[in-house]
Formats: sequence, C-alpha cells, structure tokens
Amino acid sequence: MIDVQHLSRRFGPHLAVDDISFRLERGEVVGFLGPNGAGKTTTMRMLTGFLPPSGGTVRVDGFDVLKDSLAVRARIGYLPESVPLYRELRVQEMLWFQGRLRGLSRAEARRRTGVVLERVGLAERARSLIGCLSKGQRQRVGLAVALLPEPEVLVLDEPTSGLDPLQRLEVRALIRELSKERTVLLSSHILPEIEATCPRVIILQRGHIAADGTQTELVARLGGGGFVRLELARPVELERARTDLAALSGVHSVEAQLLADGNAACEVRGEGDLRGALGALAHARGWTVRELSWQRPTLEKLFTHIAFELEHEHPAGSVRAAPPSAEGAA
Amino acid sequence: MKGLAAIYRRELAGLFLAPLAWILLLVVLFYQAYFFLLVLSNPSRGPEVNEALSLVLGGGYPFWLLLLTLAPLLTMRMISEESRSGLLEFLLTAPVADGAVVVGKAMAATTFLALAWSSAFLFGLLVQFLGAPPDWGQLFTAWLGASLASGLFCALGLVSSALFSTPLLAAFMAILANIAMFALPPLVRSLHGPAGALLAQVLERIDVFRHFQGSFQAGVLDSAHVIFFLAWTAAALFLAVRVVESRRWLG
Repeated sequence: MIDVQHLSRRFGPHLAVDDISFRLERGEVVGFLGPNGAGKTTTMRMLTGFLPPSGGTVRVDGFDVLKDSLAVRARIGYLPESVPLYRELRVQEMLWFQGRLRGLSRAEARRRTGVVLERVGLAERARSLIGCLSKGQRQRVGLAVALLPEPEVLVLDEPTSGLDPLQRLEVRALIRELSKERTVLLSSHILPEIEATCPRVIILQRGHIAADGTQTELVARLGGGGFVRLELARPVELERARTDLAALSGVHSVEAQLLADGNAACEVRGEGDLRGALGALAHARGWTVRELSWQRPTLEKLFTHIAFELEHEHPAGSVRAAPPSAEGAA
Repeated sequence: MKGLAAIYRRELAGLFLAPLAWILLLVVLFYQAYFFLLVLSNPSRGPEVNEALSLVLGGGYPFWLLLLTLAPLLTMRMISEESRSGLLEFLLTAPVADGAVVVGKAMAATTFLALAWSSAFLFGLLVQFLGAPPDWGQLFTAWLGASLASGLFCALGLVSSALFSTPLLAAFMAILANIAMFALPPLVRSLHGPAGALLAQVLERIDVFRHFQGSFQAGVLDSAHVIFFLAWTAAALFLAVRVVESRRWLG
C-alpha cells in the first residue's frame, strides 16, 4: 500500500530524514517510534504530500506522491501533529467542510459525520464551537476529520497526545478496530502506546531506520533483553552462588550483587526462560529464594538500547539490531 | 472545482464569523456615505448625483484609499496565520490543487469587497426616491470595475500573506506595495528627461487608476480594461500559488 524507497529530506544543511526505505502492506498497522527530532513528522509529511522529498520516492497504492499528488491525497486520511481545526466553526461544520473538500455529497457528508462522531465519542458535542473544546476533545475531532473520507490509509501523527488515560485507551481501541479494514501508520514517542496498538514497529533515530520488524522479532534481536531475576535471602555466599549459576547449562551471563539489606540479587541471562533450572538449583543448594521471576523483554529496553548505541558508538550511522541470539524471548 | 467551491464557501463564512469583517463593513458604509453627501451637498455647484455616486465607486482618491487598505486587512490572515496554525497543512494535504486553495481565498475576499461597494446601490435608490434618478448603467459598470480592482488588490494581499509569517507584517507590506502601485505612475509621469519618459511608459502598464478612469468610471465596459484587471489578478494569483508551493520546499 505504501512503498517508500531511499527517502531523504534536508532542511538547509540539516538532514532530517536520511535514505529510509520501507513497505507497508494493505491492512498493516505500523508504529513509528523515535525520540523527538528523529524525523517521524517529516517522514509523515512527505507521505501525505505536504513536503516534497529531497530524494527518493513515495508510492501510495501505486501512485507517486509527487506526480499523482491528488490521487495520493485522496487515499490518505491525515491527522497532523498540530491538529489543525477552524476554531470558529462548530464540530459538525468542520466535518462538513472536510466532506466538501473530498467531494462528498451533502447527504453522504452528513451521514458520515454522525458515524465518525459516534466513533470518537463526540456525538453530543456536534454543535459545540471547536474553540470551546478541551485539548483532548479537539484531538478527537481531528481524528474524526481524518476518518471522515473513509480513507484506505490513515496517517496519524501522535494521535493520543493530550488525551487523558481513559481517552487514550478509547483511541487505542479505535485504532485497533480501524486496523481491521485499513492501513494505519501512526507515530508516537510514548512506548506503551506503540506496544499496545502496533504489531509492527519502525524505530527512527536521527533520520535513519534503526530497526524495523514485529515487536517479537525486534525484542528477540535485542538478545539478552529478557532475563531471570533471582533474589536470595541472606546469608549468601555471593561468589559461590555466582559460579554455581554460571555453571548451569544454558546460562550465558550472571550479574550478582549484594543489596543494601544483605540479600543478593542476580540477573541471569541465557537461552530463554530459565526459571525451572534456577529453582531446582536453589532447592539443591538450600538457598532461601525471595524472588524468582522472568523479566519480559520490552520494546522500551530495545528502544533505549538502540538509542544509546547510536548516540555513543555510531553518532551518524545506521545500526541494525544484532541477529537473534536469545531464542525464547517471548 | 468542487474543492474550489468548498474553500470559497469556508473562507467567506470565516470572514463573516470574525468581528473584523463587520467592523470593516460599518466603516465602509459611514465613509462612503460621508463622501457621497459631501459632493451631493456642495453649495457652490448644486447636487450632482452621478458625480457623487462615481466618487464612492472609484472616481476619487477616498475610494482608492479605502480599497488599498481594506484588501490587505482582509487577506492578511488567510495564508500567514493558517501556515502557523497548521491549517495550511490540512488544506494542502486535502485532494485539492494548491491553485484552488489560493483562488478560493482570493474570491472570498473579493466577494466581501464587492458586497461592501454595493452600498452605492443603496445611495442610488435613495436619490431615485428623492427625485433625481441616477445613471444606473454607469453605476453598475463602476461597481463592476470596483469589484475587478478589488480582485487585483486581494490577490496582491494574498501574495504578501504567503510571503510573510505574521498577519500584521503581511498587511503592512501589502499596503505599502498597493500605495506604490497606485501612486508611482502619476508621480513618474511628472518626471522630466528621457529616463523619466521611459519609466513612465513602463509604469503605464500597471496604472490602475488610469485604466479605471478610462472605462468603468465613464460607464463604458471596454474589454481591454476588463482584461487589464483580470490579467494582473491572474499574475498575482499565480505568484501567490508559487510562493505557497515554495513554502512546501522550504518546510
């Protein structure tokens, strides 16, 4: 549905997006993740035809964004980061205007206005002035405006910013529901947001694609992202415990340290979830176990890992995550 | 075309939803009525109905002063503010050509001014009832010419609004440009020497006042003068569209 090849964008001397390529199939939901200034918004603006690329091509449903700009725009529903709305209009008037811009008939625009307002939970505010709405409500009006033309592709730039936790849950549910019928590309710098809604994630960092894959793939690639946490009650012979743990088959590394209260905390990394083996070992050695838990690898760890790596080792280059080393990351 | 109609309707509604438009309408009405009465009640020459009506529709400097300041005030926000608030991003990512966005805005502002100038018809009706029927044909051509001239100055205002990022600066620069465009040809005409003559010949091509006087004010609908206004309006609109497009490239 969306095919991006070697896309670049510079602003004067600053290279905001540097040679990125990716494809989105029909019906895919993809999250753009990255710190502020990573190039998320710039990329989205190029996809929607607002900014012309400095290099590379963007195709939406086979149409080139520069050559067939209007055909591309007709297929995309776009919610910009700034949520542009005419503050002096009423909610329904804004939606009717969007309907007219998209060439809908009057009756059709009115019917869809009712539908999308119901969907974003603003049906009772249809006659309110947009200027009088709260930030969260305006955000949802913006979403309704993007949804009105029933586009095949939805590009949402930070769709949940400014919403309270409850509304955020609602919008996430809405996006999941939409993803059944449409291609969705959304951006966020909030990790749980992406984890909750997008099966596939593209991590942008300084204008490069730092990682691209499903959440499980990415987390698996991280290698050592997940580990078993074992806490032993004092008195503990730390060195002994460390060597015992390291001698266990399947264990790759052990980090053990004494806590302030005299108990020992160990982080055991190895092939997948080693809780069973660790528990048996603790039983055999007669250790008193305070905690034995599987720390699931998260996107957040992956993200900080990649961001950190780029900042410190390759300040300007793209780094692919290491090949899979931990099999059982789940 | 559907997109153009949608933009036009939205911009016109936007003008009337803001207080500025109503204030400007009121100012126009008082201002025009004052000059109308001034000529009509001239004791030395007696009431000259047609002369008074032509004064409020382009026949004298008061009208032009009004037009040169009103057009920039109406158009100043149309691109500069929308670019800041992100609304331009919304319009330019809708399936509507850039040209339609700019032309729709220019048409809305021109419609507003045409409506403001139509107050002259009220004055015409008034004197008709009072027993001195005006020359309606001349009045209508003058109104048409005033509307065409408004279109030109609104298009120039949009160029300024696209160039400058704050509405106030856009209005200020547009007023300066308008005054230059209006006042330079007669100024240069008074210059002596070959250079002055050449310059005067060049500036003749943009002499709005002269083209207006030569046709609409006299009650003659001359296609050459209609085309003069339409061509310069089209040129200004083209420039405005180009500036908007260049904004995309700059980001």
